[in-house]
Amino acid sequence: MTNSSINRRSFLKRGALGAGAVVSGEAAIQLLSTGRAWAAFGSDADVLNYALTLEYLESTFYEMGNAANVITDATEKDVLATIQQDEEAHVQAISDTIKKIGGTPVAKPSVTFPDGTFTSRDSYLKLAKTFEETGVGAYLGAAGSIQNKDILQAAAGIFGVEARHAAAIGYITGAAPEGGIYMGATETAKQPADVLAAVMPFLGGMPSAGFPPRNGNPDFLAAGAGAGLLAGAGLLVAGLRRRAAAAETE
Amino acid sequence: MDSELFGGQAVIHFKDETTRRSFLRTAALVGVGATLAGGATTAFAAGPEMASQFGDGDVGVLNYALTLEYLEADFYAQGTAKDFLGDNKKYLAPIAQHEAAHVQAILGTLQKLGATPAAKPTFKYPDGTFTDAMTFLKTANTFEETGVKAYHGQVPLIKDGAILGAAASIAGVESRHASVLNLILKQKFAPAPVEAHASMDEVVAAVKPFLGA
Repeated sequence: MTNSSINRRSFLKRGALGAGAVVSGEAAIQLLSTGRAWAAFGSDADVLNYALTLEYLESTFYEMGNAANVITDATEKDVLATIQQDEEAHVQAISDTIKKIGGTPVAKPSVTFPDGTFTSRDSYLKLAKTFEETGVGAYLGAAGSIQNKDILQAAAGIFGVEARHAAAIGYITGAAPEGGIYMGATETAKQPADVLAAVMPFLGGMPSAGFPPRNGNPDFLAAGAGAGLLAGAGLLVAGLRRRAAAAETE
Repeated sequence: MDSELFGGQAVIHFKDETTRRSFLRTAALVGVGATLAGGATTAFAAGPEMASQFGDGDVGVLNYALTLEYLEADFYAQGTAKDFLGDNKKYLAPIAQHEAAHVQAILGTLQKLGATPAAKPTFKYPDGTFTDAMTFLKTANTFEETGVKAYHGQVPLIKDGAILGAAASIAGVESRHASVLNLILKQKFAPAPVEAHASMDEVVAAVKPFLGA
């Protein structure tokens, strides 16, 4: 077979991460320390629901931000429109995948953003950068928990695009190349507990009042519509807290 | 090459990125016909462990990555040592550092594994690569997009969790590079909502013109 063939047994053996046993060496240790940050999730559906929550947060954020019309530059508008499309595609694909593997997608959480988030370009883009960097770290931190190779491939593929988003926002805002666009020679994984702490202020607040219409994408709308937003967010947060606590005690 | 990017793993080919993007809006991550997610254990033929010109298993993947990083590191070192890139040099100098760091990290990992690192190739570049900014930027863009696809093509094949994490953490940085180069060149910074991937054979074919001075 070609090098593209999948060997299921070989990936099932990948479990005990034991990074310390695999490498040390100065550069390698630093590089591979990301592996040790990987959190444990109970199942692929758990990982995907974790990702779905973040994608809901991001997609709603860009829907609201782009509807607010505070961006005037054509290039910036185009970048942000693409990011919104990507996040919506991620929500849809992840929701569908959770169903496909027999899980239940979490309800769309209610989200809330600080006053003034969407009243200026700078505040909008500043929070956008935070969300993208959080997303990059979250995917990298969860990747090691994914068992199914197709899902791993897809999650990695989403992770890379979140990194593109983060860099693009850094670029259009004139951020420093190193530390503002690029974040070093390697990406840094974030633990679920840290991701949760970062996004909690935006989850489970006010109900959906003020959400802009989602232009012409009824399929996407259907994916999240009808759920009890507050109830869903509460369950979700409880689940994330449990998971985060479990990860911390390991 | 684009129609083949999904290689042996993939379930569906797309005629272009627009098609792929619209497909992804309605399809699950595991796509049409991917039955692994349904619990089947033989959705893909379990062939021999990956063997290639770069070696077997994870060592082969690392040597493959090393070869690509050597190419990128050499390319950016040469380009950023000169003074023809204007204002864009500030975006490229960090990339040169990253690629050099990737080389060192992968070398260190291979050595620690007791494996023999692939020899550093010799390289050749088209005329004008290091004198004309647009030529350099377009080549850089090609290398970055190829690098992204190369790493993502190996994701399902890497066996060791730590090596997978390290490779992913490098791949994300290559995605950032690709994003910036696309923006500099006024191209789509994220051609699709999910990164494409390419097989080793496809990537080797793509970079072959630059190998072996």
